[in-house]
Amino acid sequence: MAVEALKLIREKEEESRRILEEARVKAAEILKDAEKEIKRRKENAEKDKESLASEISDKYTKEGDKEAKAIEEAVRAEVENLKASADSNFDTAVMLVLERILGLG
Amino acid sequence: MGSMEIVERLNEETEVEKEKILSESRAKAEDMLKQSEKEIELQKQQFIEAEDEKGLENKKRIVRAARLNTKKLRWNAEEELIKKALEEAVKRIAVVKDEGFKGTDYSSILAGLIKDAAVSIIAGGSVTSTELEVVINAEDESYVNPDMLKEIATEVGDGGTIVDLSLAEERIKSLGGVLVRRKDGKIMVDNTFEQRMERFYTDLREVIVKELFKAEEYKG
Repeated sequence: MAVEALKLIREKEEESRRILEEARVKAAEILKDAEKEIKRRKENAEKDKESLASEISDKYTKEGDKEAKAIEEAVRAEVENLKASADSNFDTAVMLVLERILGLG
Repeated sequence: MGSMEIVERLNEETEVEKEKILSESRAKAEDMLKQSEKEIELQKQQFIEAEDEKGLENKKRIVRAARLNTKKLRWNAEEELIKKALEEAVKRIAVVKDEGFKGTDYSSILAGLIKDAAVSIIAGGSVTSTELEVVINAEDESYVNPDMLKEIATEVGDGGTIVDLSLAEERIKSLGGVLVRRKDGKIMVDNTFEQRMERFYTDLREVIVKELFKAEEYKG
């Protein structure tokens, strides 16, 4: 009877060792899977950088173009005003130039 | 303790140990993922900041280029108007020859230019007498005569210098105006209109700009 009991206990101890060994293997797999997942996320983040950079660059280029267009439009209007103003003073300016060329100014 | 109790206890302890191994591993994996997520997010933010900076610089460059272009646009418009005014002034010289300018006939205008030139030449030398000659273009011959030159000579020689002023036989190609020189050729004052325009170009530009754009705040 004592021999039977001892045998049962040894078998159980052996089973425990096996169960714990399996658990350690499983734990290592969990960590390995986590590392794989981290690697995958990092790779995705790297891939995303390209489109992110393009998105940011486009945003600022559009803003710059818009501002540039507004500046150009304002100056074009200003130049038109300048020309209109110049037209009304043109004759006087020519007379002043002539006055100096002719030595009368 | 009986054998069954020992077995039972072994089972429990194994289960506890197994759960401990697995839960520690899961917790570590979770921690690694969280840490990695933080790092990825931090790197992403740093990347965005760097790209933002680059983008902003690009935007500033675009705006700077636009400002430069508009400056050129404004400058070109002004230059065009200045050129137009100078060209118109040149065109009107022909009218001045026929009709005079603000009540002064062309002959008197030439007389004024001859006098100015003669005074400059006399002022430049320390002589008691000087012989000067006036060179004009063929077209203006009718506007200059010996009496007029004599009168000018008397006027400019008033300070004590005896001045002899005559019309040279040589004719020059010019729009009008005069060239006065000492007969020995050592001193010459070019008062042709082309030369006057060139000489006074900066002043003329200023006059034109001031007059043409007086209604506008001049930003040139």
